[in-house]
Amino acid sequence: MRRLRFGAVSLAALVIVGLGATGAPPAEARPTDVGANYATISGIGSTWSANALQQWARNVLSNYHWKVNYSDAGSSAGRQAFALPNGGADFAVSEIPYALKNSDSVDPVPARKFAYMPIVAGGTSFMYNLVIGGKRVTNLRLSGATVSKIFAGAITKWNDPAIAADNPALALPAIQIVPVVRSDGSGTSAQLSAWMRSQFPDIWNGLCQRAGRPTNCGITSNFPALPGFKAQSGSNGVAGYVAQPQYVGSITYVEYSYALNSHFPVVKLLNAAGYYTEPTAGNVAVALLKAQINQDQSSTDYLTQILGGVYTNPDPRTYPLSSYSYMLVPTALEYGFTNDKGLTLAAFADYFLCEGQQQADVLGYSALPINLVQAGLDQVLKIPGGDPTNVNIAKCNNPTFSSDGSNKLATTAPQPQACDKQGPKQCTAGTGGASGTSTSSSSGSGGGGSSGASGGSGTSSGGSGGAGTDGSGPVVDAASDTRPVTVAGKPQKISATFPLATPGLIAAGAIALAVLIAIFGAPAFFRLRPKNRPRAARPARVRRRRDFTIPRIHLRSPRRERAPGPVPTEGP
Amino acid sequence: MTDTFTDVLEAPQPVPPTDDKPRSLKAKADRSDLPFRIGTRTAASGVLAIMLLVGIFLLIQGGQALTADGPIKFLTTQSWEPNSGVFGIAAVILGSIFIALTAIFFAVPLATGTALYISEYAPRQIKQGLITLVDLMAAVPSVVYGLWGLKALQPNILNVSQFIATWFGWIPIFHVDGFDSSDPLSSPTIFTASTFVIGLVVGMMVAPITCSIMREVFTQAPIGEREGALALGATRWGMIRQVVIPFGRGGMIGGTMLGLGRALGETIAVALIVSPIYQIQPQILKSGTSTISALIALRYSESSPFEISALMAAGLALFVLTLIVNFGASLIIARSRSGASSD
Amino acid sequence: MTTAELNPTDEVRRSTGAIRGSDVFGILGAAVAAISLSAWLMTQLEIFQGFLPFVGFAYAFFVVIYGVVTRFDESGMAVRDRLVAVLVHSLAVVLMLALVWVVGFTFFSGFLPLLHLNFFTSDMSSAGPLDPLTRGGILHAIAGTLIMVTIALSISIPLGVATAVYLSEFPGRYSRVIRTVVEAMTALPSIVAGLFIYATVILILGFPRSGFAASLAITVMMLPIIIRSSDVVLRLVPSGLKEASQALGSSRWRTVWHVVLPTARSGLTTAIILGTARGVGETSPVLLTAGITTFFNFNPFSGPMISLPLATYTFVKSPEDNFIARGYGSAAVLMLLVLVLFIVARLIGGRGPGVLSGRQLRRRLQQSRVDDYRFRARELGVAAPSPVAPRPTDPLPRRRRRRVTTGSSS
Repeated sequence: MRRLRFGAVSLAALVIVGLGATGAPPAEARPTDVGANYATISGIGSTWSANALQQWARNVLSNYHWKVNYSDAGSSAGRQAFALPNGGADFAVSEIPYALKNSDSVDPVPARKFAYMPIVAGGTSFMYNLVIGGKRVTNLRLSGATVSKIFAGAITKWNDPAIAADNPALALPAIQIVPVVRSDGSGTSAQLSAWMRSQFPDIWNGLCQRAGRPTNCGITSNFPALPGFKAQSGSNGVAGYVAQPQYVGSITYVEYSYALNSHFPVVKLLNAAGYYTEPTAGNVAVALLKAQINQDQSSTDYLTQILGGVYTNPDPRTYPLSSYSYMLVPTALEYGFTNDKGLTLAAFADYFLCEGQQQADVLGYSALPINLVQAGLDQVLKIPGGDPTNVNIAKCNNPTFSSDGSNKLATTAPQPQACDKQGPKQCTAGTGGASGTSTSSSSGSGGGGSSGASGGSGTSSGGSGGAGTDGSGPVVDAASDTRPVTVAGKPQKISATFPLATPGLIAAGAIALAVLIAIFGAPAFFRLRPKNRPRAARPARVRRRRDFTIPRIHLRSPRRERAPGPVPTEGP
Repeated sequence: MTDTFTDVLEAPQPVPPTDDKPRSLKAKADRSDLPFRIGTRTAASGVLAIMLLVGIFLLIQGGQALTADGPIKFLTTQSWEPNSGVFGIAAVILGSIFIALTAIFFAVPLATGTALYISEYAPRQIKQGLITLVDLMAAVPSVVYGLWGLKALQPNILNVSQFIATWFGWIPIFHVDGFDSSDPLSSPTIFTASTFVIGLVVGMMVAPITCSIMREVFTQAPIGEREGALALGATRWGMIRQVVIPFGRGGMIGGTMLGLGRALGETIAVALIVSPIYQIQPQILKSGTSTISALIALRYSESSPFEISALMAAGLALFVLTLIVNFGASLIIARSRSGASSD
Repeated sequence: MTTAELNPTDEVRRSTGAIRGSDVFGILGAAVAAISLSAWLMTQLEIFQGFLPFVGFAYAFFVVIYGVVTRFDESGMAVRDRLVAVLVHSLAVVLMLALVWVVGFTFFSGFLPLLHLNFFTSDMSSAGPLDPLTRGGILHAIAGTLIMVTIALSISIPLGVATAVYLSEFPGRYSRVIRTVVEAMTALPSIVAGLFIYATVILILGFPRSGFAASLAITVMMLPIIIRSSDVVLRLVPSGLKEASQALGSSRWRTVWHVVLPTARSGLTTAIILGTARGVGETSPVLLTAGITTFFNFNPFSGPMISLPLATYTFVKSPEDNFIARGYGSAAVLMLLVLVLFIVARLIGGRGPGVLSGRQLRRRLQQSRVDDYRFRARELGVAAPSPVAPRPTDPLPRRRRRRVTTGSSS
């Protein structure tokens, strides 16, 4: 009895102590707590920067054996999962911060302690699939207003005068434009809608009205899909849709690396200086020289971007839709984040902020400038569990670093060609993933077929192509060339052509029918012949010998003793 | 004095009391029977609880979204934007229903024809093989059908869609806005991801299940009635029409409704092909439709807690719809002649 | 008339087959005519082009011409019968062709990745979008599927079979209610099951997205199917067996354990395997409850875990050719898995309760012969030479357990 009471008391004491232990608040991050092992970390977020992040994750896996899981489910999914206690997100990646101003959704700042950290810069490009005369167009150029009208549903045909005004050297076909938008919550959609809303408010309002949203509707991560649009999930989905050869006339907005990987061209966008540019690393770096970064260390939005100046940057090399992508890193040991995970995350961040930026160009992005790299590395120091050994910035080999502190990538970016200036001349060189293919002029006022010969007809290799060449193909001056007109070629064949020739077709049909009849009718054939074959005699059953005999019981069968009936006699 | 026979009944003798009383027959339960009964009853109750909890939890979680604007608004709004407060399942539930109806339209004739072929026309040697093949098809995962629909079927079926839209476009349901049949440059993208294509894929998925049920029912038509019809001079089709189909009517309807229930709930094949636009799409050849299950699958990861509640409410609507369809199916099957055999 | 006057050659053997030569020629002729007419329309008059319209027009012409040709010889009733036969045959052909196309397309397209051994032995953590098929594989997906299904089976087999036993052993109002609910749940949309687990286990109970949550969702999908099929099989066990067992003095529990379950063993196994095949192939419950990962994760309680159908889904959405090929490959592996499960179910199942396989039957006959001999020897009072070689005598002979079994041999 006494033993029982003692046991009960000690058990109660243990329970109370245990409850008290679990009730303690989560440990504050102490900078001296470094993780012991490199634990696996999982992140969710943007597809815009997924190509870069996944490449960096593969690099650290093969070089250092750190495991970084990245699920590219979209920026909205990343922000949501990061905010949930069991969302399983040790980090998130998003183009836009929480509680973005002028957004159409509330998206509140979570209770979790976190910091923003820029990871890479890049340009949101417009990938398209257009065919003239049986050949893919690779030198399309559009002004911002035209692109906005396309995605607002105001321009619906490719031969619209606004598009023709931007492309004097192309005989645009009268086919339907199919804008492909993101169906999931996307930071790319948010960037596009922010640009449209700030630069072209009338066109944006037209979109709001057509989509049934209130006037001057906010920046949205769920781009409205009007009738006639297509919606696909993820950057892979939209790029994959446009890249299908039979979906001619489609255009989508996606990060530049996806167009490179799909070997498809991107639109050259008109900038404030009157030049059409594509989002190569140099152009993006130049554009982002005018980005404003929040420098207030006490604000929750520290280090986030304000892009108004980028849209209107007067440098001729600017690509207007350039932006940074951000990683949300935790700064406290909560929501399942441990020191070991912090060690991995900090090491991973140190890696890609420094060495990883060398690959940004090749992958289709643009490297971070030195001030953002420094600020990012300072944010890494806030991650609990990280090893605070300083990264030597000088050894980073970042293409933007120079001895005088200026952005070398921006200063050495080549100026656009004269044919890229707004006007009657149009460059023939290809863009994006099709930069090895040029497009000869096909418009009615000039242009023969051979001026694009120097570009060659081979496609560029996906990873390295298009990474900075503005093309050096010859220029066609639509007004002065008097060679004969090439009419836009044969109409697009929509029906699938049957590969066999006519006799082969008939033979194939007859053979197929014969096979079907043989399968279904064959047993019937066998029933045609009368069965008059004698049955083969069955071998007698072998009786097994046994050591003992079992007396058998024969049952009397009632049927055997039936009296025979009358024999039917036949008549005469 | 004539003799009259009167039977004088003697008063019944009282039964002397004996000690033979009626015995009570109590079954003496074995010691192991009580835990057995308790154990199995617990398991069954647990399963029942899980099943009921599904509905209850959906209702609780979806309640927040349902009460935000009221269930009527929820059922009649077309667009899906919970962040701005305008959301409803009118477009997606009608999309689910249209796709399911298209699927049934393709699946039922194919399944009936195949079931009749297997039970009536097939040679004995290949009958078992065909049955196995159809049952195997019913077990093929839906992601394989979605993959086939996206990559193999859709590029080839666009011609058929265009043909129907060109020649039968005067029927309102086949009309396609924005398609000009006289324009040789018209792009086929307007026909991709349409109710027709998705319905065809889901129909192929549902057909084997329906065919199995129908085939089981047809083979159980009584042999006496069959032979009687043939003996009276009916052709094979006459026999089928008079004996097999009336016998199997319950199974046919039950199988159809089971297939309908499965088609309503199909998620991944739809999610692979669909290009979601949240407006009611009455033109089945035109692109741009979505279903409740695809809506949930595509949007759950990025949803704020309120939006998750809205998705739960949509899931509840789908659940109720499939429950109604399935209850109806089991009622009809149970009442028909071919009742319990269509398991 | 005497038999001598009957000439043996007078009597012609009649064929009792159902199909005559004229039928076959009718079909062939109509087919050739239809194909020729359709080909002429396509190539000479150019009314349409393409393979599908050709087939459509040829079929329509075939039906019309065949109907007309048959009408020359037969009555209207026979014509209708023939046309219905054509219709039924063509519907069956179309469905079979479509199903074969589905399976064939997947195997044919997914054949290439299966040739590389690394497809089965490595995961996708080190394979980029532009890497060839010699890098990367689906080991993580295969392991994920197996782990999830194992956990799901370990929950649903005891629960499901116990529920089925309750439904068949204790009929009454309560079990009727349960049966109705279970039947309604067999058609639960998979997304709703995933949503339910997401709502309860992940949002309310706070579990992370993991393989365990996914296996719970798969359990919710598999349970109704297992219960329903097991219930059907258990109800088919002849009640005479159960009553005989109880008459011999065993309790209900022992009856179930020793008589009912072994009798229905093959049917139960079939039910479980069919439920497993369904659970293996479900994508949406796993999509909602377990994250997507490229790493091989052996721990079902922490970290995201991917399954084969989910891996197929994510691969196919990519625009890269190699990824799409890998998607086909994992779909082919998935179908092979389902096919293997199905064949195993057919092999060991498919027999009614109490029906023995050939080998079991032979063993039981042998045992019966031995017993019969033993009884007669005892009756006659003679010593029985043992039909089998005598065992060396044990000082303590083991007690042979006599089981009241019917379907299993000792």
